[in-house]
Amino acid sequence: MDDDMVFDPSLKKKKKKKTGFDMDAALAEQGESASMEAPVETGDVDVPEDDNLDLDNFGKKKKKKKKTFFNLEEIENALPETPPIEEPEPQEVEDIDDLDLDIDFSKTKKKKKKKNNLDEHVVEDDVKGEDQENVEDMHGDWVGSDRDYTYDELLERVFDIMREKNPSMVAGKKQKFIMRPPQVVRIGTKKTSFANFTEICKTLHRQPKHLLDFLLAELGTSGSVDGNSQLIIKGRFQQKQIENVLRRYIKEYVTCHTCRSPDTILQKDTRLFFLQCETCGSRCSVASIKSGFQAVTGKRAAIRAKTA
Amino acid sequence: MSIQNLNTFDPFADAIKSSEDDVQDGLVHVRIQQRSGRKTLTTVQGLSSEYDLKKIVRACKKEFACNGTVVEHPEYGEVLQLQGDQRENICQWLTKSGLVKPDQLKVHGF
Repeated sequence: MDDDMVFDPSLKKKKKKKTGFDMDAALAEQGESASMEAPVETGDVDVPEDDNLDLDNFGKKKKKKKKTFFNLEEIENALPETPPIEEPEPQEVEDIDDLDLDIDFSKTKKKKKKKNNLDEHVVEDDVKGEDQENVEDMHGDWVGSDRDYTYDELLERVFDIMREKNPSMVAGKKQKFIMRPPQVVRIGTKKTSFANFTEICKTLHRQPKHLLDFLLAELGTSGSVDGNSQLIIKGRFQQKQIENVLRRYIKEYVTCHTCRSPDTILQKDTRLFFLQCETCGSRCSVASIKSGFQAVTGKRAAIRAKTA
Repeated sequence: MSIQNLNTFDPFADAIKSSEDDVQDGLVHVRIQQRSGRKTLTTVQGLSSEYDLKKIVRACKKEFACNGTVVEHPEYGEVLQLQGDQRENICQWLTKSGLVKPDQLKVHGF
């Protein structure tokens, strides 16, 4: 489908040029073509396909005429020569046609038209390929015709153009956000160390305090950053669990909610945190970090002793 | 062809709807808390006060084979407590019983 779009402009151009050219052709031998058409084209393999195309593209009709015209000349020039040329290469009839046309035009007309013709043939090939695949109406169809274009065609066209203009979008459709995995080590039996905590904060462009708040609130524990810039969390946690929490943090506070780009800034504005995206410019508020309800897990007697 | 801008739109439609069907509004936070050793505690905060939490906890205790209570909190209202890591269980149970929609559930913790 991509290729077709690439050829689309040429299709348009071709039509314009062709009409001009065809007039010449038509003028050149109006009378001759009608009678000679049938016998000559039986030699060409692509006759039936041409017929099919005629129904869709009126541009093709003209082409046919042109072909007939060339054939006529050829017959005039060298009738015995053509069959031997075509026979040895039965697989690529189209190519042969091209060649014939080239020869023909070099004989008769300017080189410009030869180029035109080549373009046309490429386009024709494409269209034919689609026909054979039974793809629904090709999007170039409505370019010259009167019929209304459908939404799908337009949509496809737009996407094809987009893909063509910036191929980076196609390659990295989902931009990957790569970061180091957290290094989580157990300290003793009750504590966990998150060794590259500050490093991860830097890669995420977030304040360590903010990430710390989030981690502690989510894990429901307490902890602090020690001298070696590693985070010590109370409780036993595995790397996988920390990863999960980090993933949730990134989803909520790092990636843009609109375009999912990680290129964002977290700002505090009147007691609320706002996430400003550097890529798409969107700005939205994010949920505040709340640890929520904390059940009493320690010794109740100790708490009572403290408060009393 | 109808013009969308001219259609009347009831801004309170959502509010009325949510109060009408018996699924509660607001997020339900499911959290986990570590206790001594390998023991954990699951808390469910934000269930609508229209529900009888005592009945819910009774059903949950039986279903998950764990103990549990309802705790009254001045800020968060009634909070459900279950022993052990019942986050998966409680989420499934709440959605299956139709008390909470899946998108209202928010699971915290690791």
